[in-house]
Amino acid sequence: MKSINTLNHAYSQAPWRIQRQWISVFLLTVLGFAIIAALYLIITSRAAILGREVQDLRSAIIETELTNANLQSDLGHLTSKNKIKIQAYILNFRPVNPEELEYLFVPGYTRSTGAVLATDPELSPSTVSIPFKYTETLLDWYDTQMQMINRGSR
Amino acid sequence: MRQQYAWRSLLLNAFLAVMAAMIVIQIIRIQTSVEAEKFREQADQFAGFYKTFYPQRGEIYDRNGHLLAGNQIVYEIGVYLNNVRDPHTVAMALSVNLNRNFDQIYSDILNPPEDIYYLVIEKFASPDVVADLKKLKEELNQSSNPTPSLFGLEFNPRLKRSYPEADLASNLLGFVNLEGRGYFGTEEKYNDLLAGNPIKIWVPNDPNRVTEIPRIPNGTSLILTINRELQDAVEDILDQSLLDYGAQQGTIVVMNPKNGEIMAMASTPRMDLNNFENYGSIFDNASEYNRAIGLPYEPGSVMKIFTMAAALDTGIVNPNTTYLDTGYIQVSGVGIKNWDENAWGAQTMLGCLQHSLNVCLSWVATQLGPQSFYGYMKQFGFGYLTGLDMAGEAAGRLKVPGDADWYPIDLATNSFGQGITATPIQMLTAASAFANQGRMVTPHILYAMLRDGIQFNVPPQHAGTPIKAETAATMSEMLAVSLENEGSEALVPNYRMAGKTGTAQIPTPYGFYDFSQTNASFIGWGPVDDPQIMIYVWLERPTSSIWGSETAAPVFSVVAQKTMILLNIPPDNIRQIMTSQ
Repeated sequence: MKSINTLNHAYSQAPWRIQRQWISVFLLTVLGFAIIAALYLIITSRAAILGREVQDLRSAIIETELTNANLQSDLGHLTSKNKIKIQAYILNFRPVNPEELEYLFVPGYTRSTGAVLATDPELSPSTVSIPFKYTETLLDWYDTQMQMINRGSR
Repeated sequence: MRQQYAWRSLLLNAFLAVMAAMIVIQIIRIQTSVEAEKFREQADQFAGFYKTFYPQRGEIYDRNGHLLAGNQIVYEIGVYLNNVRDPHTVAMALSVNLNRNFDQIYSDILNPPEDIYYLVIEKFASPDVVADLKKLKEELNQSSNPTPSLFGLEFNPRLKRSYPEADLASNLLGFVNLEGRGYFGTEEKYNDLLAGNPIKIWVPNDPNRVTEIPRIPNGTSLILTINRELQDAVEDILDQSLLDYGAQQGTIVVMNPKNGEIMAMASTPRMDLNNFENYGSIFDNASEYNRAIGLPYEPGSVMKIFTMAAALDTGIVNPNTTYLDTGYIQVSGVGIKNWDENAWGAQTMLGCLQHSLNVCLSWVATQLGPQSFYGYMKQFGFGYLTGLDMAGEAAGRLKVPGDADWYPIDLATNSFGQGITATPIQMLTAASAFANQGRMVTPHILYAMLRDGIQFNVPPQHAGTPIKAETAATMSEMLAVSLENEGSEALVPNYRMAGKTGTAQIPTPYGFYDFSQTNASFIGWGPVDDPQIMIYVWLERPTSSIWGSETAAPVFSVVAQKTMILLNIPPDNIRQIMTSQ
């Protein structure tokens, strides 16, 4: 019993082992911080780049919307009734007289009651959805992977 | 030896600790110094900027998708004061291109108001002017010399209202001023829907804060019930009518009596909406902007159809009831005469309408009595707004027993359209009951709304049932027969129409009527067996003839023929064959 106590004492007295342990712990901590810092830098720089791209895209969207509105207006001016009338007269068209009209019975034809200017809602920028992989949590991802593995094993 | 190393190590540690502490203290000192505050302010200036986001105002289309009101790019020209290197050149370039005073611009740049980083010089510069300035700025940037320079000059695109059809439908569209607010008609009524809200927000330059910038929703676009081609044709017909009959002003409205859709609404005068600043020189007051809805007048004999409808509905008369017209009737001590001051002898109710006899209709009104007569008039909507979705509607005036200015003679005069005022749109709303089995429709101009690519159609609304379906059918038949018997100029070849003329003397400010000037009106609808259009014509002070039968009636016929063609409504015989198939 006495000799065992002495051995323990001798082992704990070795200073280089204690120093090496501390240095190891310190270096591991530094390495850990370095990895976290590197990851942080990578992620923040990528986020900043993507943020800048989003800014550019938003500017492009606004510019495109303005251009679209302007083009729509230009189209309206080009197809205004005065322009169409002038073109019609140049091409020798004239307003029809009632007695010149001929009405035909077309089975199944229904007269249009008004314009339908609705676009496909799927194409609307406000309804674009973010892919699932950008919003899933780690648990979601794990669950998806497990389901894929299970399906593969069947 | 080990003790010696220990001391050295301790000293080194202490030195490093002191150095670290000094670094921390220095960091804190710099962060809290007076200069730090200045640096922060400088940093804040470059951290972002205030920007006003103007949502795109919704567009307006006709029912077939033709653009009536759109938006065009203009530019806001401004100066970022902190970035300006050469204010003299900036002021010179702006004064030359914008045709503005150089000294004023130069002074504004050098002495801006406090806390202003961005100075707006011009809000609505044309793309051509901006293209010239951009080109000049680019050329100066490429020069190696720091001056002259247009650095700091900024061009922000924005949208301004544009009306491709200029004056077409101007009275019902209204206009938008430079501040983006709608005036009159649809632009005013639906201003909140059309215009989104401009928002001034801080836009950070930090890309990590990009999500803080909200997306500004654009305004809602509108599809109106009007048909551009029909509107154009009706305006042309109205303009020609004013020339043909020497009328001062005029109004024509075409409505679908089954659902209240306004298909065309023409009034004079009109103005090019792109030059709305001319409003003051064209219109004396706001009620004249759209006479069809904003200017009540005494309609005259067209009111007789409502008096007769009330009498038929109560059953006190039928189309064959006979009245002996002596050319004169006394009501409450006041004498009433016919338009020609003649006696027409024994007349059926059909004859009374056909010959538009004031004496007969006064007798009918007295048979009804004030309570019943005014009860029907109220049910027809006289004296009330119709609910039309346009700004500027007037309610007109229906005096009723109990009002301080109502006299018993008013019962007689109101029966043939004197002493009562209404707008053309009120007349159409009331008469829609005849073409719609006794049910009135609420007139409306909005066909659908467009938001986020989805179209929301507007359903028709009914505005009460003042008369029975049988009464409505009887009235339509009586008025169709009376036109045919008269050989009226309102008749439309190949289409059976019902209608009534009106010739109303114009009251003077002194309480008397001016016998030399009239308002000529006509209301008509058809085809009688399946009414699809209802038209109201009002010509003010025609000079070629004072009679509605010789002025407004033929105009109705021309408008009806054009409407039938443009709306693809086949002649009665063809339509009936098609229906039977």
